[in-house]
Amino acid sequence: MTRVEIRGLKKSFGPVQALRGINLEVESGALVALLGPTGAGKTTLLKCIAGVEEPDAGDILFDGQSVLGTPAWRRDVAMFFQTYALYPHMSVYDNIAYPLRERKWSRQEIDRSVKNVAEKLRIAHLLDRKDPSTLSGGEMQRVALARTLVRNPRIFLLDEPISNLDAKLREEMRTEFKRLHKELKQTIIYATPDFLEAFAIAEKVAVIKDGVILQYDTPINLLRRPKNRFVATFIGSPTINIMRGVVRRMAYGWEFSTSSLRIQLSDVGHYSKLLDGSEVELAVRPRDIVLEGPKNRNTFKAKVVAAERLGYETIVTLSLGDVELKAVTKGMRSYKYGDEVIINIPGDRVILFDVSSGEAMY
Amino acid sequence: MANLRNNRRGRRKIVKTTLIYLSTIIAVIFFIFPIYWLVATSLKTRAQAFSTPPLFVWEPTFRNFIDIFLKRQTEIEAITGQELELATGAEIFFYNSFVVTFSSIAIATVIGVLAAYSFSRYKPAGTSTLMFFILSTRMLPAIVVAIPIYFFYRSLGLYNTYIGLILLYTMFNLPFAVWMMKSFFDEVPRDIEQAALVDGSNPVKVFYKIALPQVLVGLGATIGFLIINVWNEFLFALLLTERATRTVPVMIAGTRGEVGINWGLIAAIETLYILPALVLIFLLQRFLLRGMTFGTVRGVK
Repeated sequence: MTRVEIRGLKKSFGPVQALRGINLEVESGALVALLGPTGAGKTTLLKCIAGVEEPDAGDILFDGQSVLGTPAWRRDVAMFFQTYALYPHMSVYDNIAYPLRERKWSRQEIDRSVKNVAEKLRIAHLLDRKDPSTLSGGEMQRVALARTLVRNPRIFLLDEPISNLDAKLREEMRTEFKRLHKELKQTIIYATPDFLEAFAIAEKVAVIKDGVILQYDTPINLLRRPKNRFVATFIGSPTINIMRGVVRRMAYGWEFSTSSLRIQLSDVGHYSKLLDGSEVELAVRPRDIVLEGPKNRNTFKAKVVAAERLGYETIVTLSLGDVELKAVTKGMRSYKYGDEVIINIPGDRVILFDVSSGEAMY
Repeated sequence: MANLRNNRRGRRKIVKTTLIYLSTIIAVIFFIFPIYWLVATSLKTRAQAFSTPPLFVWEPTFRNFIDIFLKRQTEIEAITGQELELATGAEIFFYNSFVVTFSSIAIATVIGVLAAYSFSRYKPAGTSTLMFFILSTRMLPAIVVAIPIYFFYRSLGLYNTYIGLILLYTMFNLPFAVWMMKSFFDEVPRDIEQAALVDGSNPVKVFYKIALPQVLVGLGATIGFLIINVWNEFLFALLLTERATRTVPVMIAGTRGEVGINWGLIAAIETLYILPALVLIFLLQRFLLRGMTFGTVRGVK
């Protein structure tokens, strides 16, 4: 149970700035996800916390105390490496036992812990394997995970721990992590490029890109109130619809218009930064668009361009004059190219972004 | 039709295979023959060795091998050209070769491995300059530095000492050791060492428990190369030793018989001398191949 605080962390590798001033607070016992695309700086940040990379500037505090002076081997952190980093010259058992042996645990304690964690991760049958490079990818990942989870450190750092597993095992492992976190009640920082994984596991998610944390928030806020265009587009599938247009103040409130449609914005009291007549981007999630609903002020006729039937839902690509939108509707609907449909764009569910900065205009 | 084409293709394949085997056999004969001739000569009497046409069937004699150790050796003093009779058989020279090779390899390997690991992992300021500097010490032809080193050794009292030869060979070998081992250490993924750091090993433990076991193959290749370098060295051994520390290559060059050169005896010494190298290469061939194919030809990263 350790509270982690990161202040103004910077790290460069030659000309590449991997971290450009990271600030992050992780409450004691929380499970926080670091969500970002490849190369965002997730791994570097975790390695700095673990102590195997030295930051150029900033501070890292465990329970209010700076740990920058503490070398990795005394920091009492466990880390799962994205590359697994199994020790190739050791058996599976020795790999998992390594951190305990380095801590001079007794033989019986080590044996008990190794078998326990192997049982939990369903790799008990692999313990005798001499050469870890003969394992399958999923097995290696679980062995590496076992090595990480075998002890009880102050913090767990997990760098994409289930990204290479097949979809089914991944789903299982997600639930497993939630359970594990409940059992261990440990501080866990979990890096992943998959927003579904982050949302499924973490109470709070830090979206990181180009070495900067763009937003640190709960999943629902990331979805509903993204701070900028990147967060909005990175989260959600299918990707949020974005169209460019002009906002005008009308008698009934604000209106967004492109050459082919006008959307009345309700509940825009919090759009404090809006200027009459300015160009903005309007974003609306595909799942918020209502197909064939009751008519209201924001009802439009659209043409079907494509439909992907996914079983429980259908993703429909629509064209409205000069804009193209994706919408999701429940069930298996058979739309044909050129079909005309009625859609509602809910005026209270749209998000407006500044065209040049990409910041949300709350 | 199809059958015919298959037949033709099959025949072409047989011809191809035969050609490959034939050229391989010729190449092997080409390389093996000198060694065969050496061993054959060592088992011949003086008369047999000089017979024309050369004898391919004869009754082998082990006289030469016995003579190596029982007969007192004569040799020509390198500098003065005097002919000297030695008070011992050839075993002293074999002993010298072993001592010098083993010691200098041991020192060069230990220093080289540690230096290579530091260069690979910690990349101290000016790593590429230092690496180039280390290599540059091997760029001069040996003969260029031979005379200065001779006088240098004379005045320092290192002439005709084990220490002197060992130091010199260590210096010769260090660049090879550093360069080869660095490229092997570069191959070890950093994440593995970082994982060990997080798992609670300090850097010294990471070195010998994690990094070193990953490069054992490379280490074998490196040691193999170094041993062959030293074992065969002639020039400096000739310049810097007298009887007490003389190594086998120099001794062979100085070996004479009572009447002219005794080729049988020389061949016998040489046969014994290449034996350890042959055994070593045979044992290390897997490593050596690896070392040659990717160990040395890569730049400073």
